[in-house]
Amino acid sequence: MTRELIDQIEGEASIFFDMKEEKVDFATIAFPHFRGMESILEGKPAMDALVITPRVCGICGHAHLMASARALEAAYADANEAVTLTPKAEAIRELTLILEMIQNHFKWIYLVIMPELARLTGSEAPLTPLKGAFAASLATKALAGFAGQWPHSSYMLPGGVTCDITHLERIKAEGHIDELISFFEKESLGTTLDEFLTFESCRDFNAYDSDISRIESGLIQANMHQIGFASDQFIVLGDHAFTHPAKVLKTRQYPVHEKHVSTVASYSPSQKSYARNAQYKGKYFETGPFSRAMSTNVPLIKNMHRRFKDSAYSRVMARVFETGILLERAKEMVGSLTLSDDSLIVPRDIRKISGKGVGIVEAPRGPLIHRVEMREGIIMDYEIITPTQWNIGSSIKEDPTPAQLAMMGKNTSKQEALFIFRTFDVCSVCTTH
Amino acid sequence: MRSESSKQKLRLIWLQGVTCNGNTHSFLNLSYLPQLLSRYEIVYHPSLPSSSTQDKIYTLKEACDVFVFEGAYDPLMRRCDVLLSDLLEHYGTQADFIISAGSCASFGGMFKASAPERNSGLIFDGTEQIGPLRPIYEKVINLSGCPIHPEWLGYTLSMIADGHKIQTDELHRPLELYSDLAHHGCTRNEYFEWKVDSKQFGVKEGCLYYAQGCRGPMTHASCNHILWNEVSSKTRSGSPCFGCTEPDFPRRDLFVTKTNMSIPADVPLGISKRAYLTMAGVAKTFKIKRLEGRLIDD
Repeated sequence: MTRELIDQIEGEASIFFDMKEEKVDFATIAFPHFRGMESILEGKPAMDALVITPRVCGICGHAHLMASARALEAAYADANEAVTLTPKAEAIRELTLILEMIQNHFKWIYLVIMPELARLTGSEAPLTPLKGAFAASLATKALAGFAGQWPHSSYMLPGGVTCDITHLERIKAEGHIDELISFFEKESLGTTLDEFLTFESCRDFNAYDSDISRIESGLIQANMHQIGFASDQFIVLGDHAFTHPAKVLKTRQYPVHEKHVSTVASYSPSQKSYARNAQYKGKYFETGPFSRAMSTNVPLIKNMHRRFKDSAYSRVMARVFETGILLERAKEMVGSLTLSDDSLIVPRDIRKISGKGVGIVEAPRGPLIHRVEMREGIIMDYEIITPTQWNIGSSIKEDPTPAQLAMMGKNTSKQEALFIFRTFDVCSVCTTH
Repeated sequence: MRSESSKQKLRLIWLQGVTCNGNTHSFLNLSYLPQLLSRYEIVYHPSLPSSSTQDKIYTLKEACDVFVFEGAYDPLMRRCDVLLSDLLEHYGTQADFIISAGSCASFGGMFKASAPERNSGLIFDGTEQIGPLRPIYEKVINLSGCPIHPEWLGYTLSMIADGHKIQTDELHRPLELYSDLAHHGCTRNEYFEWKVDSKQFGVKEGCLYYAQGCRGPMTHASCNHILWNEVSSKTRSGSPCFGCTEPDFPRRDLFVTKTNMSIPADVPLGISKRAYLTMAGVAKTFKIKRLEGRLIDD
């Protein structure tokens, strides 16, 4: 058995490889750090969750904020004090959630996947990591126009949002989104966003000499279309305009309900791990952009899936393509915001509220679930289940999680497995909140 | 081999304790990041390309001029199998400058609560000087904030590269960044002056200090002067300041102002309660129609 220490992800992880003839026979994953976010929340006024839970994660804290706000709203409903949001508040929340996803994907493309792919293929083309940081900063500028700042905003409250924007702020945010789309077209795509979104086949990438085309061809060169397969079982739990809840087994869709989600202790015999594996009815599922593309039948990704199944290639391309889908969505949303609604409909004093609630959102890496129980506005119990708990659980060889399965294979070397691990966009800090 | 030009560059190592990575991600928002990074050799960073390797960093074989540490200190925590105390001793001792990036590294912050009996910042646990780097406290610059503001770190790294001395307050925070209060530049100042409180969240009118928990007048932070993401701030977007740059962050009941006989329990920094009450009493006697309703009618 050999151990690989992975840092320069969001946090730190260890992978323990069992090798057979220099190929990966099995691997377990340990996440060694723990911060106890859930116990920090217990006994706190429920509204404080809106400040504390974004601090679970520096890269997807906004998704945590939205999950918290939704969980508190569900607890209001549980106490027969249903909270209604105006269409404006709903739209602004959704827009800022999308913008956070966009910044995440740009960083992953330029700071993780391109350098790792270059290493794997021995490419000596100069790397441009700061393109990712710059693009991400444009997305967060647009986001901060509504949320005040990124990271760590707390601008969503039960009943809506705190910002009371005028067209002045909306137009400015639209300007940042336009600038980001232009940047994406010029620096990443080599074509227009509209053209990119018409892509339906791998061949469509061949016509361009661009970062995105180089990722696509690099993946093929690295054989990623023939390795990195998980179990071809996908799940989406968040309900949004850009995706919908579904369980996808190969290509067939089934309805889902959050009540079937549970966690089990991870199997990590070689090192103490604080991670728990997430399951749906006792089974492991892949989450994230690939799952969202399968649930919404994105033609390009469905086509890639048909040819290359749920390989590392399809997984990477799904996240790359989702960046384009979300940019188009953000552009549409910011242009069509109606500002005449109230930002917030003030609900009853939370100190009068006792109940249970669940908040679910799609975060960059997949479903994020917050479950809260409060008594007279005080948190009695809080549970957080993050996307990486789905993708990168650690289980026994007979029942592997998506990341374990994807790394195992009689054609997969350790170096390839390490790349495949990163195709899931690892977030260690979320995993062991 | 380091190239000729990189010989003059300052060497920077960035390591992490108990953290959410929020400071790393906030820093990546800096608008002049490429220019700043061209003045430094990034020996190690959690997400930027680095000239050294994990192996060399964690076997304590590297050295740097500027050592940035993000996250709270936990004496039991290991990073890549190495105790934080060993990392801090090695890199802290040989660096010329140590930067605590964010409130966790400065005071314990959010993740002091992970293990209150153990965790602290590099020098301070709250305001108490019991952190692991107290013997070399004079080298430490605290850039508190949850997260750090990218321009505060940009300023500090630029000042160091320029060879300028950075004046600090008693909590080791640069005066040019932390002599302001979050209140300075707040777009709701007119309401504060005339003691008109915000009736509710979700409106641009009214001051959030009287009922909604705003810590702006008591918090050293230039958030409304050096805007977040260059566009906004908490109070501009209708959220109260939570006082995240101060040693007592996070406080409890963050969306509610604690009051005594309907007067805020904490009055603006440096103002005596008596002076504040007198001034507030006078201001409140005037009924100012402009500040009563909405600024823009629907």
